[in-house]
Amino acid sequence: MSVTDLRKVFEVPVREAGLAASIKSLVHREHRDVVAVEDVTFSIAPGEIVGFLGPNGAGKTTTLKMLSGLLHPSDGTARVLGHEPWKRERDYLRRMTLLMGNRNQLQWDLPALDSFELTRAIYRLPEAMFTAQRDELIELLELGPLVNKPVRNLSLGERMKAEIANSLLHRPEILFLDEPTLGLDVTMQRRIRAFLADYNRRYGASIMLTTHYMADVEALCERVIVIHHGSLLFDGPLSVLSQQFAGHKTLVVTLDEPADLSNYGEVIESSATRTTLRIARDQTASVTARLLSELPVRDLTVEDPPIDDVIELAFASVKPA
Amino acid sequence: MTEVATGVHESIDRESAVRSYVRLYATLARTSMMQGFQYRVGNYFYMIGMVAEPVVYLVVWSTIARQQGGDVGGYTPGTFAAYYIVWTLVRNMNIVFTPFGWEQRIREGELSGHLARPLHPIHYDLGSFAGWKVVVIVLWLPIAGILSLIFRPELSPTIAQIAVFGIAIWGAYLIRSLFLWMLGMVTIWTTRVSAIFEAYFAAELLLSGRLLPVSLMPEWAQTLAGYLPFESTFGFPITALVGPITSRELVIGLVRQFVWIAIGIAGVQLMWRRAIKAYTAVNG
Amino acid sequence: MSPPQREFDTRTDRHLLGGLRIAWLHLRIGVMNELQYRANFVIQLIQSLVAISTGLVVLALIFDRTDQLGGWTRPELLVVMGVFTLVGGLIGFVVEPNMGRVMGDIERGTFDYVLTKPVDSQLLSSLREFRIWRLTDAVVGLAVMIWGLAELKADFDAGEVAGFVITLAAGMLLIYCLWLVLTAGAFWVVRMDMVQELFTGLYRAGQYPVTVYPVWLRLMLTYLVPLGFAITVPSESLTGRLTLTRLVITVAFMVVAFTATRWFWRLGTRRYSGASA
Repeated sequence: MSVTDLRKVFEVPVREAGLAASIKSLVHREHRDVVAVEDVTFSIAPGEIVGFLGPNGAGKTTTLKMLSGLLHPSDGTARVLGHEPWKRERDYLRRMTLLMGNRNQLQWDLPALDSFELTRAIYRLPEAMFTAQRDELIELLELGPLVNKPVRNLSLGERMKAEIANSLLHRPEILFLDEPTLGLDVTMQRRIRAFLADYNRRYGASIMLTTHYMADVEALCERVIVIHHGSLLFDGPLSVLSQQFAGHKTLVVTLDEPADLSNYGEVIESSATRTTLRIARDQTASVTARLLSELPVRDLTVEDPPIDDVIELAFASVKPA
Repeated sequence: MTEVATGVHESIDRESAVRSYVRLYATLARTSMMQGFQYRVGNYFYMIGMVAEPVVYLVVWSTIARQQGGDVGGYTPGTFAAYYIVWTLVRNMNIVFTPFGWEQRIREGELSGHLARPLHPIHYDLGSFAGWKVVVIVLWLPIAGILSLIFRPELSPTIAQIAVFGIAIWGAYLIRSLFLWMLGMVTIWTTRVSAIFEAYFAAELLLSGRLLPVSLMPEWAQTLAGYLPFESTFGFPITALVGPITSRELVIGLVRQFVWIAIGIAGVQLMWRRAIKAYTAVNG
Repeated sequence: MSPPQREFDTRTDRHLLGGLRIAWLHLRIGVMNELQYRANFVIQLIQSLVAISTGLVVLALIFDRTDQLGGWTRPELLVVMGVFTLVGGLIGFVVEPNMGRVMGDIERGTFDYVLTKPVDSQLLSSLREFRIWRLTDAVVGLAVMIWGLAELKADFDAGEVAGFVITLAAGMLLIYCLWLVLTAGAFWVVRMDMVQELFTGLYRAGQYPVTVYPVWLRLMLTYLVPLGFAITVPSESLTGRLTLTRLVITVAFMVVAFTATRWFWRLGTRRYSGASA
């Protein structure tokens, strides 16, 4: 998959208040251009898992929609599996899948199995291949008897697993996943991550995924692409991103009695006995050891900075003056 | 790409197109049937609300027929009863994806979901609604029985009429699906379309035979109806069964349906191509 | 195990005024919201005009063939059609949107928010949503009604006008009661789809005086689906047909139906809170 100078400009109508203006706008509308994606270039090799990151409104979903053929770009080119996505050739649509965490494809009132049958008919899957793929997905996703229950009776996480199974029945070679773990509990997130890694290994499928959870990215993506305000900011290994732009970790310490911790690291927040510290990444181990030996620590956690913070830092440092 | 994947897609192509479409329609119909049977209360509410309409027409026009000494333009209370009871079945066949549904389809991203799949979404609607018809007809039978007991329809169709009716109701279903699909697609360009829809439905009500048999309309309205698709979806199937109708008129009616289907398919194709272009330029 | 019960109505009387004040606030918010979308007014106006034109064409077709329908002349039927459109507009303004909201709330489980408010739940859920543009139907209906009356050259006294207003209000309340009972059915069935389709379909029958229909249907359209009370009776008042007896029956029936509806609503909410607790 290769993308060159991809660009998307939306025309947003400028609306004025008032009846006369409303009627006028039926005939003639004034528009303002909003650039959602600006000259983005990258390429993804077969079998690669790439995290596609950026704050809300950065242009992630717009890009995914262009690559899955739902949006026509204003400019630029893209070749995915030898196709131009927005031509929406059947052969292309059969070989890719787009999964959006906040939208469902499954029939609400029926067991997921019935929706699977529908997907089989839509993608014209041969019996043997469909059955094998379905049973394998049910097993890998630990869906078991859940596929016999009406979808409306499933929990959010169970439904998401069923959605994932449904969107992989045709064994796509490229997966566009928009927030696949959104709103799920930690255990479920972990299970879905493990599954995606497994799927990638088994079939050599490429995965491009957006997420707000750092853990998703850490578990799955060796490479990340960061965009902000529609422009590409960073494209490279995850390790470089967090080392380069977020060279610190966050320590939350709870003590038996109040104490001043400012000589251990930068105090971000502190209440009576609870203090949050920012500590350089390479000093985490030594500071933690010092704290534990020198103070009556009741509880201590080490956290990575939230992904949005990393991206924000990345943005601040990369942005030319 | 990988070998596994290539193998899969070759085998997909080996399955014949016709067989896979048959399977597609069967699966869609079965799915919507299963859903439809789950909500019988809702379905009955829908049916009763639907049946109220022809009962009103029937009562009004039978009353007028009686006041006029037995008939209006050849229709007696008995043939009016036949007309409006057959009407209920034809109306059921005419239930298709509503143009008002397109707004939600776009807003909730359902259309995007359809676009990401290798299938023209009209097949989805045609298959689903065909399945729902089975549900509706099963629930309709007792209602038709009750209506017949109350209003005593006079109905004596020939074998040819029954055969043509059987084809014509599906022709009606196709024509109305295609034309309302075109109407609904307008939503992609502008969302303020409900007034257009209402005007369309008003014209359909008056010129299709839904309100009253087209032969009872003024001369000029009958001529106008001849140039529009509406009559093929209501008046023709009903008259095909209820009569009076000649063999020649039966054939002409079917040919006209065929022409409207062709026009509908061409129109949907043409509009859909532009609609996708407009949609993928802004929405996605 | 007995479900936990909430006392919804012990202080209803004291809360009636408060409830109405809240309804007034909802109305103001609704109006301000809709005023932002004034183009909708134009669209709704076109729709009202399309609907009334269709109705007029139908009347023309009927009176092309006959000079009276079940004892009603053309201008009298114009009055009926005016009242039909007027009542339809009022239902669309307040009844339909609120009932739709209740049904959606029950389905999504957000009906809890209604029950947690210290206001009478029936009052609150009946007067939350207002669609002011639907009032264009009411205005258009009123205009047609006046047109019909002008053609009739009817001279009516204050009593007849009062009779019209009283029976119209009673009839509206009866329709509201029926709709609320159907909606409250959702407390048991959860998914009560198509109530609106049911109603829209049945409502068409009100276009003509219920006296046109066969007896069994007339009784159904009066006591089960109270279109007779809501449309025919007020029209009778304007065309000099209303007797004092019928007026009394209308009001009495309304009181009985309203009491029964309130009881049913209470039963439903109690069940809802029992089931969801």
